[in-house]
Amino acid sequence: MKNIKFTLNGKTVKLEVRDNETLLHTLRERLDVKSVKEGCSIGECGVCTVLIDNEPHCSCLTLASKVDGHDVKTVEFLGSEEALHPLQEAFIRAGAVQCGYCTPGMLLSAYSLLLRTKDPTDDEIREAISGNLCRCTGYIQIIEAVKDVAGISECKG
Amino acid sequence: MLPEFQSVRAKTKAEALSAVSTLEHVKIIAGGTDLMVRMRRGELCTHIVDISGLSEIRGIETNGPMIVVGAGATHRDVSMSRIINENVPSLSRACGQVGSPQIRNMGTIGGNLVNASPAADSLAPLLIHDASLILESEGGTREERLEDFIVRPYETSIRDDEMLSFIHIKPLKGYREGYKRVTKRATWSISRLSVAWAIKEEGGCYMDVKIAVGSCTPMPFRAKEVEQFLVGRNIEEGVIREAGKMIVDEIRRITGERPSFVYKLPVLKGILHEVLRG
Repeated sequence: MKNIKFTLNGKTVKLEVRDNETLLHTLRERLDVKSVKEGCSIGECGVCTVLIDNEPHCSCLTLASKVDGHDVKTVEFLGSEEALHPLQEAFIRAGAVQCGYCTPGMLLSAYSLLLRTKDPTDDEIREAISGNLCRCTGYIQIIEAVKDVAGISECKG
Repeated sequence: MLPEFQSVRAKTKAEALSAVSTLEHVKIIAGGTDLMVRMRRGELCTHIVDISGLSEIRGIETNGPMIVVGAGATHRDVSMSRIINENVPSLSRACGQVGSPQIRNMGTIGGNLVNASPAADSLAPLLIHDASLILESEGGTREERLEDFIVRPYETSIRDDEMLSFIHIKPLKGYREGYKRVTKRATWSISRLSVAWAIKEEGGCYMDVKIAVGSCTPMPFRAKEVEQFLVGRNIEEGVIREAGKMIVDEIRRITGERPSFVYKLPVLKGILHEVLRG
C-alpha cells in the first residue's frame, strides 16, 4: 500500500492506494468520480482521460501511486450542473454531445488545448482531440464547439 | 484488473538501480503505455520500479557533438524539443506521431526502445543516426549500439539489473532528413510501414544516403545495400527505380513473403521514390 496526496479538481486528497491500483479505479470506485470511464483499457479510446498537471493522460494506464504530488483534473473541475463551463455550453449548442460517453474526456482534451493555445487552428483542435474516440458525432460539431469558445478568458489552469 | 505486485517509486537513479539489482522478478515502469497493457493481459512480475519521477534521466541536451536524450523523456518532450527539432528532425517527426496526445504525454523514448516492437516509431530515425544506448546497473555502465541492442522483436540485450538511462545521437549536418509512416488511420494507430531517411546530395549526385525501414522486417533495419549502391550515383529515374527494387529484395530476403507485402512493398517503393527524388 502507498499513502498518496494529490490535488483533485482543486481539493487536496489524501488516501492509501494499493500498489497495483489504477488511477481510473481510484477515481471511480473510491472517490466516486464517475465521469471518468473505462473503455478499451489499453489506452486507445480516451474515455478514461484525465488531466495530470493540465495534460491529458489515460487514467486506465496510470498507477494511482504515480499522481502523488501532482494535480489531477476531471470534467467536474470545469463546471457544475448549475454552472456549466463555456466549453460545455458550446458543446451543447453545437450538438457535440450525443450518447455522451466520450464527452468528459473530449472536454478535458479540448480544455487542455485551450490552456496552451488561445486561438487554435482546426488542425490543432483535430490533433488535440485525436486521442478521444467519438462514434456518434463525426467530430465536426465537436470541432465547431471548441472553435466557438476559443479565445475566451475562462480557460485557466 | 492488474495482477498483484509491489511497487517502488524511485526518487533518484541510484535508488532505481539499487531496486532493480536487489528485487526479484522486477520490471521497470515509466509511461506504462506498453507494460500496463501487457500486465493487464496477465504478464506477471512481483515488483515494479517506477522511474517516471526521475528528472535525472528526462533531459534533452547537447554534449559536444552529441545529443543526449534522457530515456525518461516522453514522446511529447522529444517532439517539442528545439534541440531535437533542429538536429534530429526525423526523430522529432516520429515521436510527434506516436499514438495519441495522451500516449505521447505518457510513453517515453526509453520505453519505446526497451519494448522493441518492430513498429516502434523512434527506432528508424535512431538507426539512421547510429544511436547508442547507455545502460546502467549498480555494477557499472555500458554503451551499446542500438543496432545490437535489439536482439529479436520485443527482446533486447538489457539485463534484469540494468536500466536504460540515456540515448546518444549524432546529428547529421548537411543532410536532408525526414520520417514518414503509413497507418490504417491518421492517429492512434500502429505504424504499418515507416521510413526514416537522411540524404546528402551535391551536384545532382548522392554523396551519402542513410535509410531505415520499420514494420516490414522483424526489427527496423538499415537498408545498407541500397545505401552503398546509391553513394556516388546520379539522382536519376533509373537509379531510383533500381534502389526501390533492391530494398524490396532485401526485405523479402530477411522476412520471406508476407500477406501484407502485396500492399506494403509497392507503397514502400513509392515512398522511397519520393524521398530519393527529393
